[in-house]
Amino acid sequence: MGHPYIPNVREIREQMLREIGATSIDELFADIPGKIRLKRKLKLPDAMSELEVRRHVQAMLAKNGPFTQMPSFLGGGVWPHHIPAHVRELVRRSEFLTSYTPYQPEVSQGMLQALFEYQSMICELTGMDVANASVYDWATSLGEAALMCARVTGRRKFIVPALINPERFSTLQNYTSGPGFELTKIGYDRRAGQLDLSQLRKELGGDVAGVYVENPSYLGFLETQVDEVAKAAHEAGTLFVVGVNPISLGLLKAPGDYGADIVIGEGQPLGNPVSFGGPLLGIFACRDDTRLVRQMPGRLIGMTTALDSRTRGYVMVLQTREQHIRRERATSSICSNEALCAVTAAIYLASLGPRGLRELGEACAANANYAMRKLKAIKGLKVPIFDAPHFNEFTLNCDGIGISVAKLNAELLKRGIQGGKPLRGEFPELGETSLMCVTEYHTKDDIDRLIDALVEIVR
Amino acid sequence: MQEGLYYSLEHEWVKIEGKLARVGVTDYAQRKLGDVVYIELPEVRKQVKQVAAPKGKEMEMGAVESIKAVSVVYSPLSGEVREVNRELQDRPELVNTSPYSDGWICVLQPSALDVELKNLMDARAYAEYLKKLG
Amino acid sequence: MTNYRQAKWVSDSLLEPLIFELGKPGRAGYTLPPKLHEQLKISKNLLREKLELPELSEVEVVRHYTRLSQMNYGVDSGIYPLGSCTMKYNPKVCEELASLEEAACVHPYQAEDSVQGALELMYRLERCLAEIAGVDRVCLHPSAGAHGEFVAMLLTRAYHKFKGDGGRAQVIVPDSAHGTNPASAAMAGYEVVTVPSDARGRVDLKALEAAASEWTAALMLTNPNTLGLFEDRILKIAEIIHGVGGLLFYDGANLNGVLGKARPGDMGFDIVHFNLHKTFSTPHGGGGPGAGPVGVKREIEKFLPVPVVEFDEKRKRYYLDYDRPHSIGKVKAFYGNFGVLVKAYAYILLMGAEGLAEVSEAAVLNANYIMRKLSGTKGYELKFDSSGLCKHEVVFSVEPLKRETGIGAKDIAKRLLDYGMHAPTYYFPPIVPEALMIEPTESEPKEELDRLVEALRAIADEARKSPDKLRSAPTATAIGRLDEVKASREPILSWRMYRKA
Repeated sequence: MGHPYIPNVREIREQMLREIGATSIDELFADIPGKIRLKRKLKLPDAMSELEVRRHVQAMLAKNGPFTQMPSFLGGGVWPHHIPAHVRELVRRSEFLTSYTPYQPEVSQGMLQALFEYQSMICELTGMDVANASVYDWATSLGEAALMCARVTGRRKFIVPALINPERFSTLQNYTSGPGFELTKIGYDRRAGQLDLSQLRKELGGDVAGVYVENPSYLGFLETQVDEVAKAAHEAGTLFVVGVNPISLGLLKAPGDYGADIVIGEGQPLGNPVSFGGPLLGIFACRDDTRLVRQMPGRLIGMTTALDSRTRGYVMVLQTREQHIRRERATSSICSNEALCAVTAAIYLASLGPRGLRELGEACAANANYAMRKLKAIKGLKVPIFDAPHFNEFTLNCDGIGISVAKLNAELLKRGIQGGKPLRGEFPELGETSLMCVTEYHTKDDIDRLIDALVEIVR
Repeated sequence: MQEGLYYSLEHEWVKIEGKLARVGVTDYAQRKLGDVVYIELPEVRKQVKQVAAPKGKEMEMGAVESIKAVSVVYSPLSGEVREVNRELQDRPELVNTSPYSDGWICVLQPSALDVELKNLMDARAYAEYLKKLG
Repeated sequence: MTNYRQAKWVSDSLLEPLIFELGKPGRAGYTLPPKLHEQLKISKNLLREKLELPELSEVEVVRHYTRLSQMNYGVDSGIYPLGSCTMKYNPKVCEELASLEEAACVHPYQAEDSVQGALELMYRLERCLAEIAGVDRVCLHPSAGAHGEFVAMLLTRAYHKFKGDGGRAQVIVPDSAHGTNPASAAMAGYEVVTVPSDARGRVDLKALEAAASEWTAALMLTNPNTLGLFEDRILKIAEIIHGVGGLLFYDGANLNGVLGKARPGDMGFDIVHFNLHKTFSTPHGGGGPGAGPVGVKREIEKFLPVPVVEFDEKRKRYYLDYDRPHSIGKVKAFYGNFGVLVKAYAYILLMGAEGLAEVSEAAVLNANYIMRKLSGTKGYELKFDSSGLCKHEVVFSVEPLKRETGIGAKDIAKRLLDYGMHAPTYYFPPIVPEALMIEPTESEPKEELDRLVEALRAIADEARKSPDKLRSAPTATAIGRLDEVKASREPILSWRMYRKA
């Protein structure tokens, strides 16, 4: 019996062999030297039927405890949001799903236009003029941004906040290890978390390619001095890079409105599932400045017209930046990206619109605020540890009750709740602190359950 | 091609204008490239070296791009870039339509003209060279 | 004229309007649960004043994107012989499994006891990939092939630095290599040295010997190479590179040609990368997401990015190991494109050991079939090894046809679209003039292959009789050729820029 994914069954293969004058399939592999020919079967399980595979994988995954079944207050780079059913349905359409990079624009207008719409909506959200069709995630987007700043300014120093997400910082180190960068961390005000502007000004000189700020920060608070950071950076001829969670931009000011030259971020919360941390969606956008646009990494979709009519259409543009033309001089090696996640984001943004995004942002902030208020009231907990406005993530410190975050989370888990991410490994100076996330996904009951559990544990 | 100009193996032309030298790419180069969409102009005051084998970064003087290829512009003479044709930023197609006049790329102040001119071809030699390329 | 017509939506001088041109104020395509009444302590100057996004009902959103999808071509539409991309059929059960709540709704920072299923899947996938490639450990983090290549370059550098050999500054790449190879090496700070191919289309061994030195950090190679030819002297190549102390990196893009027949680890490769969206049938998604895991031999294991999924024999549980002092750190957030990993794992189980070998047999047979059937046709020629075998893809040059009629690879590719087929890759690899790179994959039935060959023959005839028809192709698709020159001269990259223009 033939395999469902291999239509040329044995009889047909034999016929094909005859037609090309070969006697056996083995003959077609005669170019592989005997010494390296694999003469045994691969040590893998035998083929399973679709029903068996489904059962096997389902049983394996059943050992997971999804946050649909128990409340989780985890964020820190991927965040749970409701994904409208139609968003999922549309990107499952096989014309999108099973296509590849639109190298033949004549038959790929669907994907090209959808990506142009994604680029456009990201521009509206971030206040930039140009956005690419995606990079892998926020962390690699930061790496690409630093490299771009170096190409544009000819400088090799890059400044980041001390409270930068450590996974992003490590990725940045790897991305900048090739050309030999100097990475500098700027400290923060212990009370409000805000960037130390005087230290920043001291570090800014003729050798800094870019200054990077996360807003909201990794620990959830807003950077209120971003206008000053922009000003200081620009006075030094440095580019200003801002990293964002785009969900916050329904409510918060666009980085383009406070001086950002490049905006990066994580597009996963725009309609993509959390999915154990991948696939994600790296946002990359910049101002319409030839110096910048020509140095952007990634695919860019542009609008044009058909040659023989005036019909509007879309094509990949400025491909001379990319690896398939420039090879070792390309702006980046990126080829396959996160296109389908980008189209998902476009459909999600189109569905929410300006009002939906604003209400969503307000709902996330309101839920987080409610949680913070109630948690703050528990004796011994300090919530948040920074005296600054927050969006939907915040810190929770339990030094005052004498147990570690690890112990706290273990107790919460016993009560069927996933606590926040422990931060002691990343920022030991913050003591027993965890990072909590609340979105519109959490109900009042979920939050009350967390409060009740903590009250009990603390006692 | 045109008389009175000198040519490099990389298909750049040079026109001596008193103490200065105007540089562009030849008709052959623009035809090979196809529709030019962008020119990366060198910076004024950039020091360049006359192109020779093996080619190095110090001999590069910008690039000319079509949608499918990038062609590095190599300097036919050593010297300093004095002027660049900013018009090309808005109208890159000038390289295609008038490669020897309005499509000029930059003006150099040559540092070793007498010595280096010998390394370039005159119109006849360039015509021969093109014939060989087929 | 062909009978094929691609679906299209037309109105005035456009196909489908832009989403910004649709909708009406007040429309909404979402609903939210009731909000808690909280006083937000965010000062007005931090809030945005307006956001210019379209306002559409769910109905309009669905119609708009449905229409767009109808003007797009995928593997599910028809043959997609894009060389080096392995556009094979994507099993739908894999989609279902990746969408399960237990896969889609787990957070990477959850307590390890609550994600044992995910960790087990990743561990088992790693074991499968290690066996398939003949390597010891596999890192599942990279999001794409190029990302995997970049990680491989970082591992190479870490390895040499550890051995006190950090001065090695060069990476060798064949002139037929895919652009991501030199680009990834350059991103990692290496100087790229290119070696030519010989008359048989394989790496020129003499040139390789001359290029290999104590400065060589690695050689990046695909096998079969981008011409679809097996580098049969790979053992000698390995000897040359290892002889100067360099590492051998395998670009897994063409693994479909040797799956189950030969393993890169056995050929002498030290680092092997995979394209799960190619060989392991996860969908290409219009450009991504994919996954580019990187496999390594034992001595490079210590440098792998953190965390690595390990199994604790004593406590019988999986865990994320961060205690790796020589690790290069993170190359992206979290642990990899889990949603893609689920699909690849399911695919491996669906095919099984024998099925995977059958994949390469059928893929190689399909490519050789096309090679034999087309090589008699005037206008198409094989530049390298014309009497030999190819593996899973074949590269033809249409230079003879170009000389005869002025019609080149691009025009042929565009005309093929009028036959309802996706064009092969063209103008790649750069060492073949007027190249057409055809990779049918094992998913194509014989009838489709015959149709493709017939179409290419018919197009060659058309080139002789009415070349203008080809220059104006395609005409049966949603739109004809586009003004790519204008698009790059005056880029309009967003709705914002469009309004300003």
